[in-house]
Amino acid sequence: MPPSTRRTSRILENKVPEITAVFWVIKILATTVGETGADYLAVNAGLGTGLTTGLTCAVLLALLCIQVAMPRYVPAIYWLTVVFVSVVGTQLTDVLTDRMEVSLYYSTAAFAFLLLVAFAVWYAVERTLSIHAVDTTRRELFYWLVVLLTFALGTAAGDLATEALGLGFTLGVLVFSGAIAFIGLLYFANMNGVLAFWLAYVLTRPLGASLGDLLSQSQIYGGLGLGAVNTSLIFLTIILMLVVYLTLARAGRTQRPA
Amino acid sequence: MARTKLLSVCCIVTTLALPQVALVTAGMSVLSISGVTAAAAAPSKLGDLSSFRAIVVDTAGLVDQGNLPGATLRIKDLETSWDAAEAGLKPRAAADWHVVDKAIDKALTALRAPKPDAIECKKTLSDLLAVMDNPAAR
Repeated sequence: MPPSTRRTSRILENKVPEITAVFWVIKILATTVGETGADYLAVNAGLGTGLTTGLTCAVLLALLCIQVAMPRYVPAIYWLTVVFVSVVGTQLTDVLTDRMEVSLYYSTAAFAFLLLVAFAVWYAVERTLSIHAVDTTRRELFYWLVVLLTFALGTAAGDLATEALGLGFTLGVLVFSGAIAFIGLLYFANMNGVLAFWLAYVLTRPLGASLGDLLSQSQIYGGLGLGAVNTSLIFLTIILMLVVYLTLARAGRTQRPA
Repeated sequence: MARTKLLSVCCIVTTLALPQVALVTAGMSVLSISGVTAAAAAPSKLGDLSSFRAIVVDTAGLVDQGNLPGATLRIKDLETSWDAAEAGLKPRAAADWHVVDKAIDKALTALRAPKPDAIECKKTLSDLLAVMDNPAAR
C-alpha cells in the first residue's frame, strides 16, 4: 500500500515497527510482563483490582499520547505502550469475567466481533489495513484500538481454552505455538499477510501467558518454579536488551547518509 | 526476507515447546504410580490443597482468639499463594477451582470489612474449609 498522501498527514514515516523475529520475541515476552505486573500491583502490593485498573489505564493513556505525538517510531515508547496495552487488555477481560461474571464464551465472541468491526471501519475509512503504512494519526489510532482488542480477545480465548478444555500451560505452550507455526505455514502458502499477522498476534497473547506460567509456576504443577517476580524480571531484562539493540540499530541506520 | 524471519520464529517457538512433550510424558508416569494415594488424600480433582487449608485453619484459630487484625494479616498469605497457583490448579478442574475461589473471596470480604464481624468471619472460614474438603459438593 502506498503511504497516505493526504495533506492533513504530517507524519511521513511508518510509526510502527516492521515485523521481524525480534518483533515477535518482544511481543510474546511483553504479554507475560503485562499480566504478572498487573497481578503484582493488585495482590502483592495490595492496591486492589480497582485502583490497579485506574492506574494502568491512566499510564496507558499518557503513553498513547506520547506515542502518537512522536514524529517517528521510537522502540522504547512503542514497546512500553504495548506492555501497558497488554495489562489493560487483560484487565478488561478480568473485570468482565470476575466482577461482572460474564461468561468467557460471550466475552470471547464479543471481543472477536468488536475486532472485526474495528477492522471493517479501519478498512472503510482508510481503504487499507496495512501495517507498513501506519503513517497518519488516524491510522495509528486504528492500529492501537485493534492491538487493545487483540489483547482482550487473546485473554478471553486463552482463558476459555483453560476453562472449557482444561488446557494447562504445558499443553498450552504446545497448542498455541503449534497454531502460530500453522499460520506461519499458511502465510508461506500465500495467505493474506495482514490476516496472518493479526491471527498470529492474537495467538501470541495466550502463548505468552502459557510460557510465563511454565517458568513461574511451582514444580508441583509442572512449572519450573521461578515465581512470577523472577520470571517477569528475566523477561523484562530480555525486552530491555532487545529494545536497546533496536534503538542502536536504528540510530546507526539514520546516521548513515541516504 | 520477512517470510524467512517469520519461519525462523515459528521454529524457535516450536523448539521451545518440544522439551515439554518429554515433561508431560514423564509427569504422566509419575502420576500413575502415586495416583492411588493422591486420590485417597484428596477427594477433589484439584489435588492437594493442604497448604491452603492450613492457612485457613490458622486464620480461623486467630478469629477464635479474638485476634481479627492477625487473622486479616494471615489470610493475605492465602490470597497471595492461591493467586500464584491459579495457572497450575485451575486447568485440573475449572468448576471446582471457581467454587473454592468464590469461598475465599467471601472470607476475604468478611475479614476486610471496615468493621469485621467475628461471627461472619467464622462462618465464611468454616464454609471455606468445607468447600476445600469437597468442592464438588457445592
